[in-house]
Amino acid sequence: MKTTVLGSGAVLLLGIPLISYFVAPSLKKATGKWVDFGAIDDLTPGSIEMLTYEFLVKDGWLVLPQRGFVWAKTNQDRAIKVFSSTCTHLACNVIWQEEANHFICPCHSGRFDSHGNPVAGPPTKPLSTLESKIEEENLLVYLTF
Amino acid sequence: MNRATGISHVTLIEYLSLERIVKRLSVLTVPADALTWHRFFGALLLSLLVLLFLSGAFMAFYYSPALGSAYDSVDYALFSLPFGGIIKGVHHYGWNLFLIVLGAHLVRAFVVSAYKPPRQMIWVSGVMILLFVPLFIITGDLLTWDQKGFWSTQVRLSIIGSIPFIGDLLVRLFQGGPLTGIVALTRFYVLHILFLPGLLAFLILIHFHFIKNNGLSYSFSSDNYSTKTVRFFPVIFNRWLILFMGITLVLGLISWYWPAPLGDPADPTDSSYVPRPEWWVLFLNQLVTIFTGSFSVVGSVIIPGGLAGLLIVLPFIDSSPERHPVRRKRVMLCAAIIAIAILALSIMGYLEHFSTPHV
Ligand code: HEM
Ligand code: FES
Repeated sequence: MKTTVLGSGAVLLLGIPLISYFVAPSLKKATGKWVDFGAIDDLTPGSIEMLTYEFLVKDGWLVLPQRGFVWAKTNQDRAIKVFSSTCTHLACNVIWQEEANHFICPCHSGRFDSHGNPVAGPPTKPLSTLESKIEEENLLVYLTF
Repeated sequence: MNRATGISHVTLIEYLSLERIVKRLSVLTVPADALTWHRFFGALLLSLLVLLFLSGAFMAFYYSPALGSAYDSVDYALFSLPFGGIIKGVHHYGWNLFLIVLGAHLVRAFVVSAYKPPRQMIWVSGVMILLFVPLFIITGDLLTWDQKGFWSTQVRLSIIGSIPFIGDLLVRLFQGGPLTGIVALTRFYVLHILFLPGLLAFLILIHFHFIKNNGLSYSFSSDNYSTKTVRFFPVIFNRWLILFMGITLVLGLISWYWPAPLGDPADPTDSSYVPRPEWWVLFLNQLVTIFTGSFSVVGSVIIPGGLAGLLIVLPFIDSSPERHPVRRKRVMLCAAIIAIAILALSIMGYLEHFSTPHV
């Protein structure tokens, strides 16, 4: 009985600091920020274009460039919608194929139409749209990481 | 007797307080049945583990777990050091063979009913080891920091992440945050070379503890098995040594002819790289592909978890004393159906990922 109490004490004494030490960075909330993708004049109306980004992200004790891309859909009336490139099945990057008129995911051949809705393969959820705004004729997109 | 020191063998053993252990080893006998070929899978596993530990520990002399350095350090060890290709090859082919032999060891134990009372816990501890090994592969694969390792890790993490409720948290715990970067690499490294080997050694100790206390299962062939015994030391032990040298040579030669693969350095933005699942996860990967949408839990959690659970509780649901496979038709039939299903899924997965070109 005494041993049980002392033993549990020892476990707590070691467990609390060690587990907090290990877990801490995992609990950091995801943050987001507005990323500037340049002048909207560079976008072609009636098309879907890949926009690449690169910004610095702090990963533990290093600050490193984080690269990736999003898909910007510009309508004839210049309304812009920005899709995440992350496939809703298992997070591969989808690629817009003009000829097929679909976003195609190379991993399990998932397909999405030009509105981001799943049309073939394993994905069942539409591509997520990213919050975007236009400031001083530049396209800004809110990215979370 | 050593002339220079005047210390004889016997007194050295006494100095080291090893008399009891030496005596126990020298009288230890096991049923002669221990010499049948399919009883050597266990010894083969031990041999492979020794090789994995040695090759891994020596690779760690050169491996540098940091972005921008990890890949180059692997490349350096692989191409600029004598036996570099062979050490990495032994590690690479070693874990592949380890998985295969682990499967064979389990199938043998199943077929000859080695899991039946009183040996339930030997089986359970063995299954624990089997379920534990993938962690080594998941963590090891990222270390080389090449395209294959990086992107396979992304796929594995997103499968883990799709587990309802806890998936996201698991991934964050594993990576130490949302990114597969320096924190993640450091974690994977320390898990791979410190925590996991320590835990595995502990699991193996438990396995041996149960074997020692419950004994090996008897052979069916002779009724007088108990009368025929052989000494563990040196008869069995020498065979282990031969086996160890044999497998070392085989792995060494394989690594010499077919160097271990090292792809291009990882590029987190290169989405055109499509990782192909490894042979041992093809069936799981196929399950994930078949069950989609709201059923995705079935493929990613329920079926794999159910299979693992079934393996663990097998000795408790099938505890009849009948041991010969021919007289256990029901159990053998169920096992055959499961085995065929796994094989069929693997073949489907193989065809999907390896024979059709991707768009
Ligand atoms: C069951 C045991 C083990 C398995 C299944 C395993 C698996 C792996 C895998 C899949 C890799 C990726 C490289 C490749 O496949 O070529 C790897 C790399 C590595 N492993 Fe292990 N491993 C095991 C035990 C160990 C141990 C015990 C250590 C050290 C004490 C170790 C140290 C390393 C190091 C340093 C690397 C990176 C170096 C390189 O890839 O060249 N491993 N391991
Ligand atoms: S990840 Fe896109 S289809 Fe599976």
